[in-house]
Amino acid sequence: MFLEIKDIVKSFHNEHVVKTLNFQLEAHQTLSILGKSGCGKTTMLKTIAGLVSPDSGSIILNGERINDKKPSERNIVYLYQEDLLFPHLNIFENIAFGLRLKKLSNTDITERVSQMIKSLELEGQAKKMPNQLSGGQRQRVSFGRAIITEPSLLLLDEPFGSLDAGTRQRMQVLFKKLTKEYQITSLFVTHDLKEAVLMGDKIGYMHKGQLKVYEGKKEFINDPNTGVQHEIAFWDGLKVNSD
Amino acid sequence: MKNRIPHIGLVLFVLIGILPFALAFIYALLYSFGVVGVVNTGFTFKFWLAVLQSGEFFKSLIYSALIAFVSMAASVGGALWITIQFRQNLEKKFLSFIAYLPLAIPGVVTGFFIFQLLSKSGFFARISYAFGWIREATDFPDLVNDTFALGINLAFITMVLPFFVLLFLNVFKNERLDELSILAQSLGANPRQVVQRIQLPILLKKARILIVLYFIFLLGSYEVPLILGQESPQMLSVLIIREIKQYDLDKISEGYVAAVLYTIIVSATVLFLFLPKRKNALI
Repeated sequence: MFLEIKDIVKSFHNEHVVKTLNFQLEAHQTLSILGKSGCGKTTMLKTIAGLVSPDSGSIILNGERINDKKPSERNIVYLYQEDLLFPHLNIFENIAFGLRLKKLSNTDITERVSQMIKSLELEGQAKKMPNQLSGGQRQRVSFGRAIITEPSLLLLDEPFGSLDAGTRQRMQVLFKKLTKEYQITSLFVTHDLKEAVLMGDKIGYMHKGQLKVYEGKKEFINDPNTGVQHEIAFWDGLKVNSD
Repeated sequence: MKNRIPHIGLVLFVLIGILPFALAFIYALLYSFGVVGVVNTGFTFKFWLAVLQSGEFFKSLIYSALIAFVSMAASVGGALWITIQFRQNLEKKFLSFIAYLPLAIPGVVTGFFIFQLLSKSGFFARISYAFGWIREATDFPDLVNDTFALGINLAFITMVLPFFVLLFLNVFKNERLDELSILAQSLGANPRQVVQRIQLPILLKKARILIVLYFIFLLGSYEVPLILGQESPQMLSVLIIREIKQYDLDKISEGYVAAVLYTIIVSATVLFLFLPKRKNALI
């Protein structure tokens, strides 16, 4: 397995935010994680990213235990709900940020960033500053900046939460395309049922600090705790009433 | 009605903010050319030639600029270091109160305090005498009214540094620098790179206009150099006021020449620094 999370526990002031977290993920796959606010999703992602230390347990990435590695050495990128572009850098430099840290040549950086800008459908925007872009464009830059560094693991914390429905749908399509193109392994946290089903190769449901990963989408849909059945009943009811 | 409000604001701004300054500048200009003034007889370049040939103005300008630059560099540099190193501690109520305190003290009081502490008959000189480190007052080093303007710089730093600490703390919060720093780390930046590539550039970019304005403020500062400065060269404002208040009435016009020159240089610098960027302003 590419990512193995074993018995991770994390508490803040005697409150168990993450309880014996166990799951595995194969390379180049996306695990969607659904859960209500405050159920421990963000703490789980931050723990895997190295931004929060677990009380116990192991994080194994590509066969190596990475618990003691600094965040900058894990090659794991954690993306917030907001795009958080660097305000002092233009779009080109935002995307090139991780590559410049790796001290690649200017030619290489220009080539790769230009290619990424094209993939993000942001041609002609390279010289613009972040405050000159729309919310959707900024989110695309944020993705591009993360993906271009070819992270071993991409952690997305409700990345489309602040976007309108149309932009959100376009971003979902773009995300699927990019993760396939760059062979990204990712954990995708969302509140949205439909988004969880669309984005994930596997789906997990987090409740009060515990994560259950479903074998298949059918099992996820049939579990009454996930809310899918409730959602289906709602739409079916609406259909019957309208007939 | 709504359209009139911006016009009223503009008229008030011109009346209160620009007109008095413009009238004063025109008066100073006319005085400097001998057009107005008690003993002046008509248009002449002699006061301008006298000021330009004596070189005292430019010596004073360079001296003032050096003092303002050293004070600003030390204050901004110190404030950056304090903010980045001790940010979390400074957010505590008592420490933030301590940071606000120096801002409430007027420049003249700060200058007086520094004089009391560092002069040859001051607090530290007396302590040094009591401990037997010096035999008499003249043995104590020149820390005020000295060539290197140590006292002036110390007073300026005391006044400016806390302001920039508070400013940088606000920028840290408003620009979400903590989150940006975590993100940069996650993209592979080590702590040094986070400071160099994210925190410093953003803090300095957001504060750059205030840094320039504070530099100009220090350049034209009066009370502190009056109390703590040396006889020659003097800082600009002290020089200008000295000339304008001379018993020799001819010197008054030379004081106005210095004031006009100073105004032109500062205004040109401000226009040069800010105008091109305003054209490309993004917000």
